[in-house]
Amino acid sequence: MVRIGWLEKWTLRFAVVGLLFLALSGFEGILMRTQLFSSDLLHGFEATMSALRPGEMAGASVAELFYAMLTAHPIVGIYGFAYMCVMGAFYFLVPFLLQKPIRYRALVPVNFVLQIAGVMICWASGFFGLFNALYTLYWPLPVSYDRTPLAGSVAFGFGLILIEANVLLFAFNLFATVLSKSNPHPYNFWEFLRSAFGIPVILRRLGIKVRDDHPRYTELPVFLVAVGRGSIDTVINAVVLLTAGVLILIYGLPALLANVRFNPASVDALLYKNWFWWGLDMVADGNVLMYTAGTWYLLTPLLTGRKLYGETVVRTVILFDLLVSMFVWSHHLLSDMPQPGFMRLLSGQFVTWGEFFTMGLTIFAVMMTIWLARPLRFTPALKFVMASLFGFSVGGVAGLIQANTGLNLIVHNTQWVIGPHAHFLLLGGLGSLLFAVIYALLPLLTKLEVPNNALVNIHLWGWVIGTLGMTYSMGLAGAHGMLRRTLYANGEFQPYMLVALAFSLLIAVGFVAFLLNVLGTLGLRRVLSLVLPDSWLGLQPVPAEA
Amino acid sequence: MERKEFLWLIFLVVVFLVFNVVTLSPLVPWQRWNLWGQATPDRRVEVTFENYQIGLPATGIEIKQNELVEFMATSKDVTYGFGVFRPSGAMLFQMQVLPGHENRIRWKFDEPGVYSVRSTEYSGPRHPEMFVADAIRVTP
Repeated sequence: MVRIGWLEKWTLRFAVVGLLFLALSGFEGILMRTQLFSSDLLHGFEATMSALRPGEMAGASVAELFYAMLTAHPIVGIYGFAYMCVMGAFYFLVPFLLQKPIRYRALVPVNFVLQIAGVMICWASGFFGLFNALYTLYWPLPVSYDRTPLAGSVAFGFGLILIEANVLLFAFNLFATVLSKSNPHPYNFWEFLRSAFGIPVILRRLGIKVRDDHPRYTELPVFLVAVGRGSIDTVINAVVLLTAGVLILIYGLPALLANVRFNPASVDALLYKNWFWWGLDMVADGNVLMYTAGTWYLLTPLLTGRKLYGETVVRTVILFDLLVSMFVWSHHLLSDMPQPGFMRLLSGQFVTWGEFFTMGLTIFAVMMTIWLARPLRFTPALKFVMASLFGFSVGGVAGLIQANTGLNLIVHNTQWVIGPHAHFLLLGGLGSLLFAVIYALLPLLTKLEVPNNALVNIHLWGWVIGTLGMTYSMGLAGAHGMLRRTLYANGEFQPYMLVALAFSLLIAVGFVAFLLNVLGTLGLRRVLSLVLPDSWLGLQPVPAEA
Repeated sequence: MERKEFLWLIFLVVVFLVFNVVTLSPLVPWQRWNLWGQATPDRRVEVTFENYQIGLPATGIEIKQNELVEFMATSKDVTYGFGVFRPSGAMLFQMQVLPGHENRIRWKFDEPGVYSVRSTEYSGPRHPEMFVADAIRVTP
């Protein structure tokens, strides 16, 4: 039997847990879609689940359960599924491409455990504590204890802090690996930061002489350029969300332990919203786009056997993406009239269009690489790369339509936003790309090929058609006035939700086909070896150095 | 930069310019009165939000068709949303209502009819209850 090395095993562990979180997040999505179709349908299921909840939480209303689930759903999806997969993939790819070990190997299992713990605490704050302030945490909702349960709020604050502290540890380990002395061009953190923001390039363009003895990003593989620049956004996101978690605890702990209530109005809601969205958007419009671009730039040449088209432009695009991500957050505040008009117009609309150029050029470079590499063999990974290009294109254009001072007034907070934009990007774009990475990495990690092409195709078409159908029925419901974050008790939008539910089940069919295929590829013993000691399975232990 | 890449960039620039010029221009009716229109509205309507309640003027809201109305909404606790919905249920427009701030939006109703008001931002588990049917009457 083919043995799996120490690092490969950890990568697989991250991926397997990430996929379990995706399954949980998807299950929650289907439950909520069912409630939006008919809020009575899940009474039996809810009653069974409520038996597990403590004290008065057992008597929660349908709306309380719905919003607690709606709060947990994106945390599980983003920090559970996406971040776990990214951590696993980067922990393998960064040392693999740099040809040097991870700087702090002990942090790999630490990151694994803390990420699971943080996500599960946030999830449990919803399931058991009915925390319901949503992922947006608009101030002062998370500390308004007349509508948000206090214990749940405190638990969520702890979970959020744990997740973000862990993300910072992960980013530190990535940077430490890239910067470590075994690099052909060692450099310190400030030189790295200077280079990441392209300051020497900008200064040279302005005719200013700069020292040439520091390393340049042009010397690193383009994937690492994207990882490095994207991880700057990852750090900012983690720091900002960490402060949100700390703020929740500053209000929550005195209230919980000593019944001392601070005045929520001490924190300005608009200022908080700007700070929070600046950080939160470092994921949505920052690291996701850069990590995605980097992954496309890595996978496409690997899968097609052709050099990346327009590599010089591609490197500049990643730098531009980093700069854009710093100033883009106001598109989430286009309907906040107290936000200064110039901020809504410049940051909210014009800077957001910067992503049209960066993603437009990125997708063009990837498509040209694929086109010029014909004739092609459409491997499972390449199929999902194509699907992700489609997902980011459609979801991105939908995002630009709503990132408009005029159009936002008529679409904001409708199902249109969360369907064709957010879910199309996340499922069709990001989800497909992560599947492409898994399909591409499996043979590298295990020396095994994914055997069943029929299951790959069921996965592909179930995922793509399901996403398309679900998000567009949501979009149509939004166009007819259905809001996101609103539970309609009288079945006002039943036909749309029925169609959305049917297509979400198709997504689930695709996902199950994928799981079966991966399980079939790895075999039960190898999967068990991810969680059980090798000696229990009659295998020779793999040393950590392997 | 290769020629095809350059041509593609030109195409992106053209799309950017056309889309933004059109959507910011007076061709979009509500941009006409929000960005390009008169400085003072014909009338003002105050709306308050507190404890899951939408407070509308006691006399009701009656507006003339094509009158420029400024809605000024305030919240005394959390963030809400002020959304106006057509008789068909489709949303006409909305804005966020941030606590501690005056939130203003201007609109001209171009069709007579009866419009409903709903909070468009989640404010806690009772958020779906925040609906006032037939809140605004627009007359010719």
